[in-house]
Amino acid sequence: MTRVPPEDRLFYYTLLPSAYIIIGALALLVAVVAWESAPALGEYGPGLYARNAWSPSEEGPGDYGLAAAVYGTAVTSLLAVAVALPLSVALAIAVEELAPRALRAAAEYLVDLAAGLPTVVFGLWGLEVLAPLLRDHVMRPLWEGLGLLPPFSCEPLSAASLFTAGALLAVMVTPYMFALVREAYRMVPRDLREAAASVAAAWYQYVLLMLSMVRPAVAAAALLGLGRAAGETVAVSLVVGNAFNIGACLFQPGYTVSALIANQFGNAYFYPLMPNVLFAGGLVLLAAGLALNWAGLRLLDRVRLYAR
Amino acid sequence: MARMLALVALAAVAGVFAAALASGVSGPGDGVVVVTGSGSSFVAPQIYAWSGQLREETGWVIVEYESVGSGAGLSNFLSGVRDFAASDPPLPKGKWEELRGRVLQVPVVLGAVVVIYNIPGFEGILNLTGEVLARIYLGEIEYWDDPAIARLNPAADLPHERIVAVYRSDSSGTTQVFTMYLSKSAPDAWPAELVGKTIDWPVASAGRGVGAKGNEGVSRVVASTPYSIGYVELSYALDSGLPVAALDNGAGELVLPTPESVAAAARAAGLPGSPLDDFSGVLEAMVYSGVPGAYPLASFSFLILWADYQDPAKARALAAFLEYIAGPGREPGNLAPGYFPVPEEARRLAVEAARIIAGGSGAG
Repeated sequence: MTRVPPEDRLFYYTLLPSAYIIIGALALLVAVVAWESAPALGEYGPGLYARNAWSPSEEGPGDYGLAAAVYGTAVTSLLAVAVALPLSVALAIAVEELAPRALRAAAEYLVDLAAGLPTVVFGLWGLEVLAPLLRDHVMRPLWEGLGLLPPFSCEPLSAASLFTAGALLAVMVTPYMFALVREAYRMVPRDLREAAASVAAAWYQYVLLMLSMVRPAVAAAALLGLGRAAGETVAVSLVVGNAFNIGACLFQPGYTVSALIANQFGNAYFYPLMPNVLFAGGLVLLAAGLALNWAGLRLLDRVRLYAR
Repeated sequence: MARMLALVALAAVAGVFAAALASGVSGPGDGVVVVTGSGSSFVAPQIYAWSGQLREETGWVIVEYESVGSGAGLSNFLSGVRDFAASDPPLPKGKWEELRGRVLQVPVVLGAVVVIYNIPGFEGILNLTGEVLARIYLGEIEYWDDPAIARLNPAADLPHERIVAVYRSDSSGTTQVFTMYLSKSAPDAWPAELVGKTIDWPVASAGRGVGAKGNEGVSRVVASTPYSIGYVELSYALDSGLPVAALDNGAGELVLPTPESVAAAARAAGLPGSPLDDFSGVLEAMVYSGVPGAYPLASFSFLILWADYQDPAKARALAAFLEYIAGPGREPGNLAPGYFPVPEEARRLAVEAARIIAGGSGAG
């Protein structure tokens, strides 16, 4: 740490408690979740995350496994980022390079607003509007036309499915990822842009050059977006279908870890081991979230370094 | 200008105070007792209603309630975080034995689980049996025009469309009542292992089952999914406007949920004589009782309290709450929509529980 000059010392020390409280709260959170997960992990071992079972019993230990939820979390968040990444990058370029100033301000305002909306609003909109629309105009045509491919191979009977959850998550993480990419885009030094203009680079080449400069930020946006999508709870539990299915087909109802916790926690204490199993689900989310955020923030630091 | 505003504000505050004094409501800290509870989301609207009425009536009892789910409510109560719990299922027998003599259970409202459906082009009332429902939720009956359904509904022209079975994804007393009905009426099709607040639904692995959170979630999904079927508490069916099926009650009748049929089911419950007794068999006795005229999916919701409270003020407040529930709280105007008044035996249990709490003479 850098030395604190004497005249700032008092100020510095008054800041310390709040800094340590935040770090302490995080450490405590990890400790409590790990402590509560221990009985479940002791019963099943790491295999808890690989077995698919959910037969709670009030008298006996019951039979639990988180595989379907972990699988659903991975599938829906990867799907969301796969859709949101090109969208947010294209949006960033359009807003920064093409849009007139007034439109740019309006777009930024709207996107910031969308990033701050309560997620239950997205969830209800997803359930009432997006899900039936996707079923009739996207999922059905895909199943009828490309039904031979495993991801589209089952008939979309209900509107709630892994696919729907992924699409809704894409809508939800796009504003966030757009904000990250846009910020990095603005940090690209002006001389580089002017250099490109001076050699009369075509638009296409100019954009390619810019993209290569913000590549770490795009990767960071993908990682942070993935972390967000994996942790999203309310909206997903409304549209994912909440069924313990593992399969290649995206049109069947599935589960995610956070949706499982939201659904089952209220009555979990009726069942001997269930709260611990749910905490173990929380533990894996926490670990994935910390890892993704750490990696994403490191990538963002790289952008900031060379932009200086 | 600022002075004007301040005067107006002052006058408004004074007015509120005057109104409060005139209506005899005392302010906080003036003999007011707050008791807190948590639990079942199903009875929450009813408890809020009673709490408001009671506050107006007595002026000193404030009942605060948090809708967190029956299980979490029970856990809060047992750990001492809350003064009482509200639970759809009664205490399991093992738990009751552990707490014997120290804990009171009072059935406070009567509700009904109903089967709702969304079949475009079919407006009538669908007749169903537990066995047909079991086979739908097992994934064995796949189409609406299946012979088993057609036999029960000879007049209906049902479409050749796949059935989407909607269930509660969160753990709930509603699911327990529904699965108990399936198992009691069709034990061969629906094994006892598949009875509970949350189960692994066989129809889900067939890709035709959808889980939705809460009664509201189920009614929303059924409303937005053509050719689907689901089960919810009656008040949510009334809100959604979806049709309600008539169900086989084990006495050779197909019955709709009406005040009469639900009351008949409650008479079959065989409630124990004291709030200190074991209630764990009550639900089993009510569901698919085989009593003529009884609706097969009726159930009580319970308040769970201690027989003895350390704080005498809390004991007095809880006793007043129970007496209100046993008295004016039962009148039709004071019941929230979708709930039915409990029978006379249950009313006597509430009075008895109030007496035990007020006397502080719990056996424990």
